[in-house]
Amino acid sequence: MIASYLLYLDPGSGSYLVQILAAAALGVVFFFRNIKLYIMAFFSRFKKKPKNDSTTTSNTNS
Amino acid sequence: MNQLPNHPASYRDPSGFIYTHQGVLYRQVNKLYKENFELFINSGCYQKLADDGLLIKHEQHDTNILNSEDWFTTLQPEKLNLVSYAYEWSFDMLKDAALLTLQVLKRALQFGLILKDATPYNIQWHNGQLMFIDTLSFEQYEEKPWIAYRQFCECFVAPLLIMYYTKRPLQQLMLAWPDGIPLDIAATMLPRKSRFSIHTYLHIHLHAKVSAKQKTASQGDSNKEVFAKSKLERLINSLEILVNKLQIPDLESTWSHYYREASQRDGYLEAKKDIINDWLSKLPEVKTVADLGANEGEFSKLAAAKNINTIAADFDAYCINNLYRHIKKNGVKNIQPLILDLSQPSPANGLNYAERSTFSQRLQVDMIFAFAVIHHLAIGKNIPLEKIADFFGGIAPYLLIEFVPKQDPKTQILLQHKKDIYPHYTEAGFLSAFEPLYNVEQKTIVPHSDRILFLLKRK
Repeated sequence: MIASYLLYLDPGSGSYLVQILAAAALGVVFFFRNIKLYIMAFFSRFKKKPKNDSTTTSNTNS
Repeated sequence: MNQLPNHPASYRDPSGFIYTHQGVLYRQVNKLYKENFELFINSGCYQKLADDGLLIKHEQHDTNILNSEDWFTTLQPEKLNLVSYAYEWSFDMLKDAALLTLQVLKRALQFGLILKDATPYNIQWHNGQLMFIDTLSFEQYEEKPWIAYRQFCECFVAPLLIMYYTKRPLQQLMLAWPDGIPLDIAATMLPRKSRFSIHTYLHIHLHAKVSAKQKTASQGDSNKEVFAKSKLERLINSLEILVNKLQIPDLESTWSHYYREASQRDGYLEAKKDIINDWLSKLPEVKTVADLGANEGEFSKLAAAKNINTIAADFDAYCINNLYRHIKKNGVKNIQPLILDLSQPSPANGLNYAERSTFSQRLQVDMIFAFAVIHHLAIGKNIPLEKIADFFGGIAPYLLIEFVPKQDPKTQILLQHKKDIYPHYTEAGFLSAFEPLYNVEQKTIVPHSDRILFLLKRK
């Protein structure tokens, strides 16, 4: 374990708590977002045939 | 205890510091950071980030140059041309710096490391792009909330959101709050509708509210709780979605159409380029140029094409943003874009006024371009010609400057609603202000105009 005295930046305890709250809320947001993306991907298959094999990686990395 | 010649900005993190020795910049890594540094190197994280062009490369020297008791190892990072700060960056630059920080964070997590801070000062312009420069920002990841989360929100998310919602270039806010815009202030500056974006609500509004409550409440033990990696990844993903969505409108500012208009003045722009090209060809010793008042960088591009490292600075944030987009799209390596108001150049700030130095202190170039700016300074801002000469003279040995006479239509626009209190604003007045400092090497009238180009060399 590396010593915690290296934590020279004070994150503020509010920031720790908000990360816990935000991560929980985002869990719900991303759950529904993934369902939405799945449905959109499902129906887009019927709209036009993909040109090449569609082992899609839905995540477009920036 | 510490009598070492640290750079004045390098004191916050006890892991190490940067310093200059015999003109070379080094970073000392302290014993305190040994385990984290070894993990960073041995895990392959450094190599991966450096190979991918996300982190500045360094050479490691096992020499204790300063004979420091705390010394563990010495790094010599690649040299930067010009250190710049977030308040000198355009919207897209700050946005890309935010995305770069998140990208570095995601990569670090793959190697069992995390970023212990997240400020724009960890990022600099290097080889035609923004690059992470703080090699000592990485530490072993434990399943805890991200310590630099608030800093990231205050330094990146808050200014980007404020500029996005107001549709105004408000880089000056980062000069007012160099350590990030406090969340409660950012929350009050944002419109009510910003609460309807779940990501903005969580990272700014809720964050501000919870932080304010926690200040008065007894310290919770949330920092002892385990925070699963998947939760952290969700948080990073959300920040990335939020930042990626932010765009500034493609507004045309007063100056962003300047060249289109100037090129319509038949032959003027081309003739000016020919003269500059010719003069530069005769000065092979000029390796670096600062194009002050660069607009969208037409002449910076000309210098860059001659393999001259060029800094393109203008006070118009939209012009600099367009230039940044051009550099990014075309992979231009030797132009550094920068927002700078010549009449109010970036000041020194931070502790003892030494953490961040003035623009002129940071700038080291062989030549200054000052095209079509002198009438703005002398007439638009009432700055005496002698003071303009002093300012330029303090920066570089060569000055390529365009004198825009009073009868020029652009000067006439400036004088339209002003009393003409500028009897000395003539070619003779210009020469009497500049000749005490400079020798006139070349002089010519730009065809299709009354403007005069001067190549001056400092005495």
